[in-house]
Amino acid sequence: MQIVTKMIPLVDDAFVALLEAVPGAMVCIAANGRLVLVNAQAERLFGYERAELIGQPVEILIPDAVGGLHLEHQADFAADPRHGPMGSGLSFDGRRRDASTFPAEISLSAIGTDEGTLVAAAIRDVTAQLRVKDLERCNHDLESFIYSVSHDVRSPLRALSGYSELLLEEYGGVLGEEGRGYAERIVAVSEQMGQLIDYLLYLSRISRAELHLQSIDLGAEAGRIAEEIQRREPLRRIGFTIQKPVQALADRQLIRTVLENLLDNAWKFTSGRDDASIEFGTVPNSDAVVCCYVRDNGAGFDPAYAGQLFQPFQRLHAARDFPGTGTGLASVRLIVERHGGHVWAEGTVGAGATFYFTLDRKGSA
Amino acid sequence: MTSQPILLVEDSPDDEALTLRAFKKSNISNEVVVVRDGAEALAYLLPGDGDGDGLDAPCPALILLDLNLPKVGGVEVLRRMRADARTRLIPVVVLTSSKLEEDILDSYRSGANAYVRKPVKFADFAAAVQSVGVFWLLLNETAPGRALESN
Repeated sequence: MQIVTKMIPLVDDAFVALLEAVPGAMVCIAANGRLVLVNAQAERLFGYERAELIGQPVEILIPDAVGGLHLEHQADFAADPRHGPMGSGLSFDGRRRDASTFPAEISLSAIGTDEGTLVAAAIRDVTAQLRVKDLERCNHDLESFIYSVSHDVRSPLRALSGYSELLLEEYGGVLGEEGRGYAERIVAVSEQMGQLIDYLLYLSRISRAELHLQSIDLGAEAGRIAEEIQRREPLRRIGFTIQKPVQALADRQLIRTVLENLLDNAWKFTSGRDDASIEFGTVPNSDAVVCCYVRDNGAGFDPAYAGQLFQPFQRLHAARDFPGTGTGLASVRLIVERHGGHVWAEGTVGAGATFYFTLDRKGSA
Repeated sequence: MTSQPILLVEDSPDDEALTLRAFKKSNISNEVVVVRDGAEALAYLLPGDGDGDGLDAPCPALILLDLNLPKVGGVEVLRRMRADARTRLIPVVVLTSSKLEEDILDSYRSGANAYVRKPVKFADFAAAVQSVGVFWLLLNETAPGRALESN
């Protein structure tokens, strides 16, 4: 403790005030490796009271500090003990009062004083950053995995489909009707699996796509899509009611996919009705600036299964009644969530369905 | 109709069999030479590797190139071919399972003439191979042989 009383007067009040003002944890270490100054952030980071630290060796906070943080171990420094950076981004483990440790990044600067040089150490807990790095690595691994799945699985699938078709072509007579039926199933199923794989790839692309947000009139987009749908099947008469304008901040291409999927679904599930009507509009919402809905008076769904609607490959209707891969609504959810919104649906069997999605979460901008 | 061969660079024996089969079903009568990795492709196309010799084997009229190849990848094969006067102008169609944007861009940047993704369904795959063959061997005019040597 003698050292402390001797050292502290060397450092003027302005410096101490500055030390308290910096947003991160800082400690000052004397040439002999003992702590002479500690700011409030450092107290908080390590869980000590200041009085418990002053005069203690720096190892109490950084167990492996020897050689790295001790001035007397740094030959260059002893030779030229003036102001200046000594190193930044150094990795150490920090130890809290309760003996728990955390990964720390430390930057060191030398401060010349009348009676010797102090080392100022800025200490940052980088647990969160490391976790983000881990996540990024995981994401990257996942992308490589998906890519390799796409390539590696498609090739054998093509072989499966190809050889089955060759069987049909060249040995169709030998196979008989039942055998041909089986070979046809193999062809159909491998094609279906190809679509599922493509869908996985598509999802992975949406989840890593960069969003180009701009102000878009969703009503105008919905109107254009409705016209396209109507052109595709000009004989079907559907009453479209579309609210315009509905301005929202969104990625044009992705939000178009959302509207296309929802309007296509509405079109598909009203196919049995002569008085089919499809409505696009907005309702007030407490969480979001924009809450849109697409409503139809079609086949609807059992509300008990509403939660499954947005899961990939889930279908609530038999494929022969309403064809589809069960992937449209999963894409809708993924895209809306990437925009910070959420999706839900209301429906009754035989009495239509309404799909909602929100954009521009309040308070997030 | 040309008598130059088609060079198929393909490591999957199944894709090879199906591609050959698709050609057989079409009107394209060119011989198909198959090499099974990037190194073999380069050895075929650039024998002696850049010492100025011409091709020992006849120059292909069309190359169908897979990307994911053992030893030397498809994009690298393209780069080395395009850097050599002997193979700079041969039409190359990338024929692959990948539809990764990076792969498509890399292929075009490295000098691919076309990029075709292999469909899973064999009927579609056979149709794609036939269209590629008809376009590049019958409709398209390739660069005159003289240009290859003097370039």
